[in-house]
Formats: sequence, structure tokens, C-alpha cells
Amino acid sequence: MSDQTPALELRDLKFRYPGAAPNAPWIVDVRSLALKPGEQALLTGASGRGKSTLLQIVAGLIDPDQGIVRVHGQDIHAFSGAKRDLYRGSKIGMIFQNFNLLRGFSAKENVLASLMFSDVPRKEHDARALELLKIVGIPMPERDVADFSIGQMQRVAVARAVATSPALVLADEPTASLDPENAGAAMDLIQSTCQKVGAALLCTSHDPSMADRFTRRESLDQLVTA
Amino acid sequence: MAMTDWTIIRRSMSSRLFSTVTTVITVAIAVGLMLTLLSMRDSGRRAFERGSGNMHLLITADSSPLVSVLNGIFYANAPARPITPSKFNQLTNSFPAEYAIPTQLGDQYMGLPVLATTPEFFTKFSPNPDFKPGSAELGWSLAEGRIFEAPFEVVVGARAARESNVNVGDELALTHGMGEEAHIHRDFLYTVVGILEPTGASHDRSLFTDLTSSWIIHAHDRRKADNPDAGKPTEADLTDADKLITGILVRLPTRGDSNISSLLPTVGAQLRADPSITVAQPSEEIQSLFRIVGNIDQILIAMAAIVMLASAISIMLALYNSMEQRRRQIAVLRVLGCSRPRVFGLVVTESAIIGIIGGIAGYTVAFIGTRIVASVLKEKLGLVVEPVFDPQITFVVLVASIALAALAGLIPAAAAYRTSVARNLRPTD
Repeated sequence: MSDQTPALELRDLKFRYPGAAPNAPWIVDVRSLALKPGEQALLTGASGRGKSTLLQIVAGLIDPDQGIVRVHGQDIHAFSGAKRDLYRGSKIGMIFQNFNLLRGFSAKENVLASLMFSDVPRKEHDARALELLKIVGIPMPERDVADFSIGQMQRVAVARAVATSPALVLADEPTASLDPENAGAAMDLIQSTCQKVGAALLCTSHDPSMADRFTRRESLDQLVTA
Repeated sequence: MAMTDWTIIRRSMSSRLFSTVTTVITVAIAVGLMLTLLSMRDSGRRAFERGSGNMHLLITADSSPLVSVLNGIFYANAPARPITPSKFNQLTNSFPAEYAIPTQLGDQYMGLPVLATTPEFFTKFSPNPDFKPGSAELGWSLAEGRIFEAPFEVVVGARAARESNVNVGDELALTHGMGEEAHIHRDFLYTVVGILEPTGASHDRSLFTDLTSSWIIHAHDRRKADNPDAGKPTEADLTDADKLITGILVRLPTRGDSNISSLLPTVGAQLRADPSITVAQPSEEIQSLFRIVGNIDQILIAMAAIVMLASAISIMLALYNSMEQRRRQIAVLRVLGCSRPRVFGLVVTESAIIGIIGGIAGYTVAFIGTRIVASVLKEKLGLVVEPVFDPQITFVVLVASIALAALAGLIPAAAAYRTSVARNLRPTD
């Protein structure tokens, strides 16, 4: 892929949960959305509007009913099974509201876990994990994440999300569990880290204060197909 | 160091340490029980075979071949009917033999059997079933002293010496018979001239003396019953009526290194035609004895197999129950790029590892357990059992335990495989 290949392209994307009535409204309904490499966008929408579901479709965790999702030029849903998982592991990083760190594992192991399913050569894993944890400000990488503060957990989650140098980072309400001060610091970290590694960022939030941080803001209500 | 599947499995096991340890213990008990039973069954059989050693036939006047073996080799009881010297001569002249050793049982010392025999018992008969024909190493060796050479000398088996606390140079009087009818031969004292090293056979709990002295004391008993003033008889006074024996240990000629004699069927048939004697082929009698108790073996082994199955079910339940707590971890791993088959493999591998650790622990349990059982058998019953783990059987049991554990992991692995990533990534609070 060329350097100008869009990090994300969505076209005519529609999804409703299995078992829903045929005439029920679409949970996800996006006509078109694209992110350039390294571009950062905020996706807003009311609670229950399908922001998280859209991110899971983009990550290839849920199949859409219609439409195309291209991540770094590749239709991720064209892959099946292990190939899609490998592609996701290599090209997409995810950050969650509740961090979803692996409990019982150290900060370093959480980052290494992301690398172990990627195509990054194994001999580079250790150094890369330590470097990233240093960048995000984790002084004790061997410590169990259960012993970390909320802010530190968020930092580990950010380091894990960018460990494979992904084309795209999906952040699903990353500051929802943080107080305003920590939320600002966390967003600073997410945005600056994505910038450093050259990853595009698609961040969902229903926090209005987040809007000022992004030059590009998209509302799910405005993305709907005609 | 890069992270591997093993790191994930190890953490999963250590995060549920109590559950992991208890399932490992369950597998260990199951494997240990199975290996112990299999080992003790084979070792027990060998312990019984050890008594009959290199003899081919045992001739007695007992009621059945099995009774002959139990009395003549395992010293269960004093045989009720004797064999006369003329019968002994007639029998031993009727076939070629490497040895035909006369024995007489009837006396005891502190409850320990006394076998009167000839020195050939120690120079030709071997208590070792793996005896190599032509080998000078029969399996007898002395801890102290020497074999009896003259009348009224006694050699004491290793366990008998320990139990009766006798030493070389001690003098002892034997007891005739058992129970209320027993009486001590106070007029005749035997001198202990040797203590044997353990042979691992029933002979360890016996005392050995020569036939002549045994004939003399019994002749004296009979004569005193007729005439209380009768003096002590000498060897010269003995008549054929005094020179009774209760058994003949026979080994037929063999060829080369073989312990099997081609004459055995012919000689056996010839001897069995004589209704006044009982001819036992000890190895066959021991096998038939084990066939009788074999059903109990099979029941015990079946029970051990059920315990193994139960241990597999406990692994399955432990892993399946842990799935509730692990769904989020699995969902996170999936997001990070772990495929469904790899998640499946992680759970099955974890299950198999519990089987491997349990199997190794079970082998250790069996190794120690059999030695404890062997020690108890030796102490309480005088039965020397040397537990040996057949490498093939051990391998099969260990592989079976690992395979069962892996199979037990299939259902939890399927649950892990089907884990919904989207549902399990949602915030819980």
C-alpha cells in the first residue's frame, strides 16, 4: 500500500442486530467516511446510537449487513477467520473506556500480548514494548496492571494500542471513566502517541468537551445514508 | 522476552491456583492409583514366583497341587501326609533330574517354620526365578556364618533372624507342631551357624536344618511315647519309619540357557499317574492362584480407570467454570489478533498441561506409594515385593491421562471458541 492509502474508508455501511425486524431502524447507518493516514477524527452521537458497534464493525469483530470497510486499503470483512484476526492485530489498535487490560499480566506483557499476534518480528517485541511504556510514562513495566492507578492503566492501554504501529487506532469512549483533569491528560496522550506512530485515530465520545481537541468532527446523525 | 502462548496458559493457571492445584491433585491421585495397582499386581506375582525359584516340580503327599505349593514353598501349614524313604528312592530313580531335594516341614521356632533338608537346598535350588542355568549365583548368600554341615546346626533366614532375634552361636530348641498340641523338643538343642541375607522369597521367614537331626528328634518323640525312659536315638538307630519327608523339590535337566525342560510334560504325566503323591508345577499353580484373584485385580483397575475419568471430568468442570471469568480475557485476546482456533488451542493445551503435571505427580505418588506398600507388606507379611513400573504400561497410563485431560478441555475450549467478543468487551459497571 502507498503512504497515501486511506487509513479507513467506510461506504454504505448498514448494520442491525441479528433477529431484528426487517423494517427496524439500522443500528449503524453510514454513507461514507474516510480517514487519511495519521488523521484524527472525533465521532459523536447520542448514547446507544451505535458508536461502539460501528467501531466493532470497523475492527472486523462484527460483520455488517451491507457496505464496505477498508482499513489501510484492505476490505477487512473480505478476510475470514484467522486472517482477519491477524490483519486486525497488525493494522488496528483499540482503546476502551474500561481499558480491557489483561488482568494478572504486567504492563509489559499487556503490550507484548498485542505484539505476539502481529507480524512484528519477535526479536523486536521486548525493546518495542519497553520503549512504548517509557513514552507513555510507565516507570515499572514489570508490575501487574492490577496494581496500577486508573490513569496508569489508561497509559498501558494506549501503549498496547499502538504497539504494532497500526494504521488506525479506534478509541471507544476512552475518557468516560476518568475525571475531567485525567480525561484531558489521557486524550493528550492518545492523540500525541497516535501522531508519533503515524496512526489515524477514530475516537468516539459523547463528552462535548472533547470536540475542541479534534479539527475533524463527525456526527453519526450526519453520516447516515440518504 | 517475547510473550508466548505458554505465558498466557501459565498466567491462566496461576490466576486460578486453587482450582489448578486441586485438579492436578485429582489427576495425580488417579494416575498414582492406576500405576500403583498395575505395578503391585506384577510385583506381587513376581514375589510369589520368587519362592518357587528354579524348581520344575514339587512332589508332596498333600491333597492338591495348590496346597502342595502353599505348604511346600510358602510354608502355610505342615503337610499332613509324609513320603517314605522307599517312595523317595522309587520316585527319584524313575526320571533324570538335575536335583531332587527332600524336605520335611513340621517344626517351628517362635511361630517361624523350620525346613529340614539337605545342603543341596543351598547348592542346587535357587529361589531366584530368573536363575541362569549353569550360573554359580543361586541367590543364596550369608550375612553371617555358614550353611549347616552337621546335625543340630541351623541356618536362619533373614527375616526369621530379625523376628526371633537369634544370632550365630545361639542355641535354640524347636517346637513340634502348632497350637495346643505343640511341644518343645527340649532334649535337643540346635546351634545357629549362619544367618542368610534376604532373598526376597518366602524362605526369608524360615529356619533351615538338616534332615538327620529332624528325624532323630521325631524318632525320640515316638520312642518316648512308647517308653518314657527311652534314651536319645542316634543316626544309626533310625529306621525307614523315622526317615520321613514331606516334599521333594525337583529340577529336570535343561539345555543351554533355558530354564524350561523338554522332559517336563513326560515326567509330569508319569508322576501324576501315581495316586499316592501330588505333583505340582509351582509356576502353574501360582498362575492359577493369580487367575483366581485376577478378577479382584480387574475390579480394582476398573475402579482406578473410573477415578481417572472422574479426574478428567473435574478438569472439564474447573475449566468450564473458569470460562465465566475468562470471557473478557478471551475477548481482549481476540481484539489483539488472537484467532478463534488459537483460543481453542490455548484452552485444550492448558487442560493437557494439567494432565501432564498430574501424570508426573501421579507417577511420583505411585513411586513413593508402592515403596511404602512394599515396606508394609515386607514388615507385616514377610512378602518381599519389589515394585517395578513397566515402561510401556507407565507410558500408556501417562499418555491416557494426558489425552483424557486434553479431551476434557474440548468443551471449555468450545465455549472459549464461541465467546462473543463484542458482548464481553462492554464495561461491566
